[in-house]
Amino acid sequence: MEQKLEFAFRQTMPAQPLHFDESKCVGCHACMEACMIDVMTPGEEGHPPVVSFPDECWYCGCCVMECQTGAITLRHPLMNQTRWVEKASLKKE
Amino acid sequence: MTTTPWPYPSQTDRTHRLSADVVVLGGGIAGCMAAIAAARKGQSVILVDKGAVKRSGAGGSGCDHWESAATNPCSRVTPEELTQAMLDDNDGYNNAISHYIECREGWDRLLDIEEMGGKIRDDQDEFSGAAFRDEESKLLFAYDYRNRFTLRIWGTTFKPAMLNECRRLGVTIVERVMVTSLLTEGGQCGARCIGATGLHTRTGAFYVFTGKAIVMALSRPARIWLFSSAHPGLCEFRPLSCIGDGHAMGWRAGAEFTMMEKSVRAQFSSAGRSFPPYSTGNNHNTWYAATLIDATGREIPYADRDGNLLSRVEERYLPAKGQHYFLKGGSIEQAKYEFEGPETLPYEQLNAQGYRLPFYADLSTLPELERKAIWGFMVGQEGKTQVPVYQHFTRAGFDPTRHVLQCYGVGWTSAEFLPQERQLFGLPGGFMNDWNLMTNLPGLFVCGDALFASNCYGHAAATGSYAGRKAAAYAQSASLLSADEAQVCQERARVYAPLTADPQNGVSWKELNEAIAKAMQNYCGEIKRDELLQSGVELLSRYEREVVPEAYAANPHELTRLLEVFDILTVAQLILQSCLKRRETCPKLEFYRTDAPCGAPAPFIVIRNDNGVVRTRTVPLDYAGDLRDNYEKHNADYLSELEEKRRGTKA
Repeated sequence: MEQKLEFAFRQTMPAQPLHFDESKCVGCHACMEACMIDVMTPGEEGHPPVVSFPDECWYCGCCVMECQTGAITLRHPLMNQTRWVEKASLKKE
Repeated sequence: MTTTPWPYPSQTDRTHRLSADVVVLGGGIAGCMAAIAAARKGQSVILVDKGAVKRSGAGGSGCDHWESAATNPCSRVTPEELTQAMLDDNDGYNNAISHYIECREGWDRLLDIEEMGGKIRDDQDEFSGAAFRDEESKLLFAYDYRNRFTLRIWGTTFKPAMLNECRRLGVTIVERVMVTSLLTEGGQCGARCIGATGLHTRTGAFYVFTGKAIVMALSRPARIWLFSSAHPGLCEFRPLSCIGDGHAMGWRAGAEFTMMEKSVRAQFSSAGRSFPPYSTGNNHNTWYAATLIDATGREIPYADRDGNLLSRVEERYLPAKGQHYFLKGGSIEQAKYEFEGPETLPYEQLNAQGYRLPFYADLSTLPELERKAIWGFMVGQEGKTQVPVYQHFTRAGFDPTRHVLQCYGVGWTSAEFLPQERQLFGLPGGFMNDWNLMTNLPGLFVCGDALFASNCYGHAAATGSYAGRKAAAYAQSASLLSADEAQVCQERARVYAPLTADPQNGVSWKELNEAIAKAMQNYCGEIKRDELLQSGVELLSRYEREVVPEAYAANPHELTRLLEVFDILTVAQLILQSCLKRRETCPKLEFYRTDAPCGAPAPFIVIRNDNGVVRTRTVPLDYAGDLRDNYEKHNADYLSELEEKRRGTKA
């Protein structure tokens, strides 16, 4: 079915390091306070902080270590996702 | 341009003034240990940190091994032997004093940290019976299992324990404040250091700290040659905010530096070129001594220093026949024959023998406890590995008994790098120090990565504690001086200028950092020549003159990043000046001139800024003198306290 799609401007993101599960986040902002780079700024009460400076993340994972409800997932940029294989799949000579 | 309002109240109209006996700049490993040592001496202490102390600094997220703890009860190497080896291995271009402190006191600091609540022993008996475990003390060792001077540790527990200890001792902790400059007596360049200024990274409030003694515990420089505006956080191995502010403010204040002409081809991160450290297959550091296999699953042999192939995994952890001990670790890439440990065969040899890229790390054939020590323990306790690597890979289904991890490059590196992609790594330059870890500026003590030829966690902790107690001793007989108001006013004006610059014309921190990095790759790459270096000096001084005064920042966070890049610009100029002053090629400093041959071993070149004039002096490589004698002469109090404590423990 044909549909008229709406457009908008947005900032193109080279990477999005942090993902919050809103159903688990209690909005305590302990992650924000643990981050030494201060990549987050306060969000609305009861909600996750805003990841205002995602490109400055150095992927240490301390925000995840600090989160008591397991609400945060840290994701490396696609180019930095390391490859591994089943050893059995390597072709013997 | 975003119109979202800044979430914190502006306090650029406020100046907070704080004083204490000892002011510690930087709350990483070295800074925390300095604050703790000074507070234990009964001094009032302020600890200033750009982030939040619990997890800040290069070691805040963790650490998996502690090198050179030569006085631990299982060690078969003395501090004197180990320090001498580090000196010999680098032809003397190393910090004999700081590394002797590391070797001599590292174990004392581990015991300290254990008392604070850090975990240093396998008290759950997870590794009972392992070749790397001492059954009595339950300590775990890495690398050389016979000589046992490097320990495996649970480093993720350390930084929170240090924070608690700082709190317990009543240290005044000031977080989210970037230190921007050193204050000197009468505001004079080269005079006694009496304090520092700071900027709150959220509110923009200004800080003036004064103390009887100041401890410099800020990081080593970074992002001098490497920058990515898309991934600035991935430019270097250490955190984005650790870029050498201390070196820059020290240079401006007239402090002496040495070995600043040394840089090495990048090894980690490199503007996103490499993969996350310790996430790829290799057999280095955390991964020592993992088995490597080639693209067809064929095992790559390990050999001893004489080229004898080692058939059993256990042999990878033992010195060669007739060898006392071997060196491996953070600052040792290719040890000299005397200290060379087991290693996989070099790529050229492997290629000739038909081994095929890519290679993989294969933990599946290691003895179970060796596999568990690497995957789960060390990859899990090392900085940046618990969540991003161990937890992540495990959730995605990685099973070390079945899967193999790709190596990028032809050995233990996680990428191939270009010669002009350089870093301050592998014992880089830094502040010059004496036996009290004091700089040439009276009252300014230095530790951790701020020191020249710094390396790892144990070095940071040991020198931090040492600098803290020396600063405390100095403070006991020094007076508290007021800040020179003209110096404070000038710094406040410098710090705030970018907030009122023209947003349309003023460059951002990213544009400036990228320009500096490109300039340094062009004019201060692997090859050095006077004309090249001089062109770099001209370009960077033009940036200083024309670009810096117009640079723009929209808020205190961005301002922090911009002030960091101003510091990077200062350090880049310090590096160029240091390169110009070294007249001969010096391979151990990875310093290669094509306009001058390799000279005879030359002394340290010590460099400082004297009100805008660059001054140098030379210092013999053996300026530390007899290590044991000098250490004991300077630390009689510490040694008697240690003896008393030992007697108390025995009783």
